[in-house]
Amino acid sequence: MKIIRANIKPFAWGIFWAIFSAAVMAAASLWQPKLLQNVINAIIANNNHKILTIGITLIVIALVGLIAGVLNTIFSAKVAMGMAASIREMAYRKIQAFSFSNIERFSAGSLVVRLTNDINQVQNLIMTVLQALIRVPIMFVGALILALNTLPQLWWIIVIQIVLVMLVVLSTFGRMGRRFGLMQTLIDRVNELAKENLTGVRVVKSFNQENNEQKRFNTVSDKLNDQNIGVGILFSLMIPAFMLIGNMAVVAAIYFTGDIAQTHPGAVAAIASFINYLMQIMFAIINGGMMLTFSARAMVSLNRLNEIMNTEPDIVYKKDVPEQDLTGSVKFDHVSFTYDGDDQPTLSDISFDVKPGEMIGIVGATGAGKSTLAQLIPRLFDPQSGTVSVGGVNLKDVNERSLRKTVAFVLQRAILFSGTVAHNLQQGLKNASIADMDRASKISQAAEFIDRLPNRYDANIEERSSNFSGGQKQRLSITRGVIGRPKILILDDSTSALDAESEKLVQEALNHELKGTTTFVIAEKISSVINANRILVLDNGKLVGEGTHQELVANNHFYQEIYETQKGKGEA
Amino acid sequence: MSDVGRSMRFFYHYLKRYKISFTIVIIAIIVSTYFQVKAPIYLGKAVTSLAKYVFGLMHGVSNKGDFVHFVWLLGLFYFIGVLGTFVMNIAITYITGYSTNRMRRGLFGKLQRMTIRFFDSHQDGDILSRFTSDLDNISNALNEALGEIMANIALMIGILIIMFQQNVQMAWVTIASAPIAIILATFLINRTRKYTDIQQDEVGKLNGYINEQIAGQKVNITNGLQQDSIDGFLPHNENVRKATTRAQTYSGMLFPLMQGMSLVNTAIVIFAGSWIAMNSGMSRAAALGLVVVFVQYSQQFYQPITQISTLYSMFQLAVTGARRLNQMFDEPEEIRPEKGAIIPAGSTSAALNDVHFSYDKGREILHGVSIDVEPGKMVALVGPTGSGKTTVMNLLNRFYDVDSGTVSIDNKDVRQVDMTNLRDHVGIVLQDSVLFSGTIAFNIKYGKPDATDEEMIAAAKQANIHDFIMSLDDGYDTKVTDENSVFSTGQKQLLSIARTILTNPSLLILDEATSNVDTVTEARIQKAMDAVVQGRTSFVIAHRLKTILNADKIVVLKDGNVIEQGTHQQLLNEHGFYSELYHNQFVFE
Repeated sequence: MKIIRANIKPFAWGIFWAIFSAAVMAAASLWQPKLLQNVINAIIANNNHKILTIGITLIVIALVGLIAGVLNTIFSAKVAMGMAASIREMAYRKIQAFSFSNIERFSAGSLVVRLTNDINQVQNLIMTVLQALIRVPIMFVGALILALNTLPQLWWIIVIQIVLVMLVVLSTFGRMGRRFGLMQTLIDRVNELAKENLTGVRVVKSFNQENNEQKRFNTVSDKLNDQNIGVGILFSLMIPAFMLIGNMAVVAAIYFTGDIAQTHPGAVAAIASFINYLMQIMFAIINGGMMLTFSARAMVSLNRLNEIMNTEPDIVYKKDVPEQDLTGSVKFDHVSFTYDGDDQPTLSDISFDVKPGEMIGIVGATGAGKSTLAQLIPRLFDPQSGTVSVGGVNLKDVNERSLRKTVAFVLQRAILFSGTVAHNLQQGLKNASIADMDRASKISQAAEFIDRLPNRYDANIEERSSNFSGGQKQRLSITRGVIGRPKILILDDSTSALDAESEKLVQEALNHELKGTTTFVIAEKISSVINANRILVLDNGKLVGEGTHQELVANNHFYQEIYETQKGKGEA
Repeated sequence: MSDVGRSMRFFYHYLKRYKISFTIVIIAIIVSTYFQVKAPIYLGKAVTSLAKYVFGLMHGVSNKGDFVHFVWLLGLFYFIGVLGTFVMNIAITYITGYSTNRMRRGLFGKLQRMTIRFFDSHQDGDILSRFTSDLDNISNALNEALGEIMANIALMIGILIIMFQQNVQMAWVTIASAPIAIILATFLINRTRKYTDIQQDEVGKLNGYINEQIAGQKVNITNGLQQDSIDGFLPHNENVRKATTRAQTYSGMLFPLMQGMSLVNTAIVIFAGSWIAMNSGMSRAAALGLVVVFVQYSQQFYQPITQISTLYSMFQLAVTGARRLNQMFDEPEEIRPEKGAIIPAGSTSAALNDVHFSYDKGREILHGVSIDVEPGKMVALVGPTGSGKTTVMNLLNRFYDVDSGTVSIDNKDVRQVDMTNLRDHVGIVLQDSVLFSGTIAFNIKYGKPDATDEEMIAAAKQANIHDFIMSLDDGYDTKVTDENSVFSTGQKQLLSIARTILTNPSLLILDEATSNVDTVTEARIQKAMDAVVQGRTSFVIAHRLKTILNADKIVVLKDGNVIEQGTHQQLLNEHGFYSELYHNQFVFE
């Protein structure tokens, strides 16, 4: 609810008018049976003049109700859509303040679902509340009071009707909720089976498993059908049950009016409006019940959005630190790091010192902690103990802008955004000129294919960058990394999709063009780091070796082991 | 129009077998409509006789018999009307349930028979949405709209008839405002459709933006682009707000507007009814009855108009859904030769002879490729990406058919071989291994569900994955899905090697995994591959050196042509493309 309350203020007038018009609508519906009763009284009294005035009142009130209904929709839509948009904006801003581990804890996919589906649910909820739910209590209380007022002797019929409707609602809605839960699980399962048959279509076909897959699917499909029919039967029972309760109340009301009329003849005129009020009471209960079931789903979504709002970014930069002129030195001092929910530390007690302009290679088996170590330098994560310093400044005291200007990080999996090539390159350097892009793309060896693109830097990158190959994406990603002339450049296995020739050219260009830049190269292949000033060897989160290639080959058995497996291939 | 026609044929196809149920539905509708439209007459009569009885009492006459009689009849009519509705609902539930279940099963069955070409050229998400939203829309429409629309049309006709029977003047009064309501409804429906399209479009754009930005958040953070990301988000968000406000206003207005119209109409009926009753010299009791009855009719008459217009959009979605399912059912299926040749068991020869092939017309991928392998020998395919290595694999297993030339196994053209038999003989291990949801045992026994546990364990041992599986808490009963991360990429490939070993294929196609595998797993995969290749005819799409060294023949593909072939030594001595590739890739000092 917090997230809703925070957004009520700008929409206060819209909400007021929506509620007001809903109340007018309800009043118009409630008034009509009363007027019907008056007309009948007028008929009984043979009063022509009275019929005329009441008739006109009737039509005017109905028109007012209609206009109120239309206005209510307009205001409800305005408020619901406006609130949804501003909740979405709040959540999006919050997510942009998140650190990477905040995002990973939610998972990117889940955040997207929350920003889309969940907000959609909340938007529908607000719309329903303003359009219909507000009317339910007014109608219920109003119709109840008026019904008792009209024929007080028949109070017990109202009570019995309410009790019966409640019984039907309680006994079916609970059962339905359970079935809906089962249904959702089965629907998920149907999707899962269909999906894995799409991704695994070659496996299914090559193992001739089409018939078995069909059997597997049919079993689930049939179970889903059972649930569908189960829910259908409940509905088939529920709606006629409501109709029957309402109808029987009408019959009873008429019958017992016969007795009442013996002493109170006016009851004859009252019966028509009483019947209408009985119907209104019943529909109010049914609508209320249905909307509450529906809101239960939206409340889940609301909670999921509140989770975003209640999460505090776990990396916060100090606001009062002025911009700093950081050098390219990096220092790890007894750094240990454990991922959330892991019991094993990914990095333990790592210390090393890097001078500006050095090229550092980092090698080790998958899972040794290479990428994690690299991600601590641009402060994607904070270590649990020890300090990481860049340019002599502890990252916990660094100015965010200065850090971003100093460190460029090229990811293992190249991520490009849809838009133009220039748009993506300019993410590395705002307002980068063509000359900047030319320089950077020459270093990354991207110039070769960019020059062949029809519009060069204005060429379009499609969604999921499907119009570029893996190697091209990596080269563009490197271009984005070097375009801002960073003092520290981290290449996290960023050349894995390049062939040996291009990889060599990139390295040469880096050595030549970015002489003063401290470079970290993380690689699976030793050939990628062989020319580094120093190579750090990681094993199971520990720094187990440090030195040049020659030194490590001579006296580090971890390095020797990796080298042997790769060398073996080359010379066998 | 043809769209609607085709959709109708689609529905007819699936619904025609429920003739008995439909007969029940129609009888139930007729019964319930009859009793529903008659009930207000008895309500009127009950009120009239109540009035008579009470007026009688005032004059000292007590004749309750008529009154009680009509009250009982009213109760009976209500009851039978409701019973009819109940029977109709139940029948519709069964029709909907079973027919959509058949659509779902049919769609899945169709998927199993379609060509690989279809799957390669369509997005998974698009195909999946036919299982979810399209089938859902059809099911909802059948469930809610089918019965409702039929019942409402019947109700409308029934009420029209009965109203004119009761009182022609009042009948005209009651239906006078209907044309306005219908025009309003049509206008709103058209508007809603137009703005819903715009809304979907804008929502799609916004979702796309959010998806891309959050997936790429690492780039945003490391480049300090958070504010830029927000700046890009705001206009999308604003567009969505505008579009949804419009669309929801129009669609939300339909119901209150129709209800309001119904209210206004009732007011008119009350007013006109009492006026007419007063001025036509009816008895007061009869006048009372007339007004009460037509108030009911006015409400009943507007109910179908409101219902049908709210159900219309649902109906539209179902038509679209049917069209999209039809598209799938119209796709060509794999051509399986009838009474195809059978390949005998044991290792077999295989050959490509002057094969030309293209995925898209006019863009040939293979330009006359010829490769042959003798029984039990191993061929390694090497070459840069896009050279056509994977295409060769696609042809051997008949995932695709050649444009010209022949692919043969055991000297038989694969197009003449019984397809099940062919695929029993050909085993493949894909570069991207796929797991199915289920236990590990289910996945290893996938190609041979009746295998014993001993056979399964033997295969897992050969594939070097047994020890890892045993280290899991539930061993072979561990549940896996393709997405959860019990297995690394490398381990997934080991598992799929075990799966292939178990089926004991006579011709093996291996596509090695390339990246994201550490050296230890790489060595395990190599050992497993050596084990499985032993004594079998095999094609290996090679990315690693070890494989190439052991091959009986290395075929170098480049741009869809075989440019070199021979053993490792022969090719090195030729100092050609292979030799250059070899030195560039693997010698680093």
